[in-house]
Amino acid sequence: MDTKKIIDAQPLFAKSQKKQEQDWQELEWITQAKHGSQVAFHHLYEKYHQQIYALCWRMLADKDSAEDVCQEVFVVLWQKIDNFRGDSKFSTWLHSVATNVVLGHLRKHKTWLQKIFSIEDQSDTTKEESVPMHDDSGLDALDKQIARLPERARIVFVLFAVEGYRHEEIAKMLKMAVGSSKSQYHRAKALLKQWLVEAEQEEFCHE
Amino acid sequence: MNKEISDKALQEKIDNLPREITPERDLWAGIEKATQSKKQQAANDSKFFTPTTWAASIIAAVLVTWIGFSSQQIGGESPQLVQQKVKNIDQDDMATKQEIEIVGFMEESFNQQKQAMLVSFGQPDLAQLPQEMQTQLTKLASARKSIKQALINDEHNVDLLNLLDFTQQQELKLLQQLYRPQLQSI
Repeated sequence: MDTKKIIDAQPLFAKSQKKQEQDWQELEWITQAKHGSQVAFHHLYEKYHQQIYALCWRMLADKDSAEDVCQEVFVVLWQKIDNFRGDSKFSTWLHSVATNVVLGHLRKHKTWLQKIFSIEDQSDTTKEESVPMHDDSGLDALDKQIARLPERARIVFVLFAVEGYRHEEIAKMLKMAVGSSKSQYHRAKALLKQWLVEAEQEEFCHE
Repeated sequence: MNKEISDKALQEKIDNLPREITPERDLWAGIEKATQSKKQQAANDSKFFTPTTWAASIIAAVLVTWIGFSSQQIGGESPQLVQQKVKNIDQDDMATKQEIEIVGFMEESFNQQKQAMLVSFGQPDLAQLPQEMQTQLTKLASARKSIKQALINDEHNVDLLNLLDFTQQQELKLLQQLYRPQLQSI
């Protein structure tokens, strides 16, 4: 019985050891990148760029912008990597850097109309056009629908449901009331449910 | 057919979303270019600013010694008294007036440029700069002060005027390189 337990624990132990080795490796890359090693920084890029691109893509719903902002995130990371003190996991810290860069990009590219009427001024029921999709090939069915969401609802939805931020944090980041963040999230959820059903029905009809 | 998706089913779909999406184009090339130019710039800055700082410090030290020596030669009076005397003696001297005006104009113009630059960078808090940068700025300001002091006693010295202009430009350059908007190279 005891022997069986030891044998069963071996893969777990090996897995945990591998994870620890990866963590050490990552820590080494971070330290080297802090000292200006582009090779180490490239390793970090290789490890995380697809995650960061996914975040950018979901928040921006545009391939070209997502690519540009993803690049910007890594340039900002290169400049700010010294600020990483290891208080949280590197991936968590990197995601927060990326979120800030994306939000900064969105602020910079607000239309004049959006600048005049701030987010708070607009009621939650305001009709905001959903985003037309250009190239959604190879995307998850839900990702395709997330990309169709109106901008504010999409950003709140991605930050809350996908990135795991709390409504209080989202409200602070987007300079909106906590209630607005919650209502945008519910709006996003309702739209997604509706569109997913429609998409499934459409697919069913085609079959 | 009126099918509905429950919260649970939606949550499952969210949980199953891929953590990663692969971009179509190679993003590293642009990142490498941008980070390399930043690295190069930082290297150039350190190469450029270290001797400059040294030079400014040496100049400042020489000038302070020289001012002290001159004041002793005049009669052991403090530099402030010497300046006052020089001012009084040369009050009617148009040339001196012009020199003082030039120094004043240079200083005013420098302050305006510096202020405009800081405003364009969003009024950054210089106290938040790394200690090394703050030391460099302090050294440059100290060198400027010493040169201005020296100009009071040697108002016709073109070299000192050039030196004052040089230290002012170095300070502006340093501020520009510290706060210039980033990411233009992608």
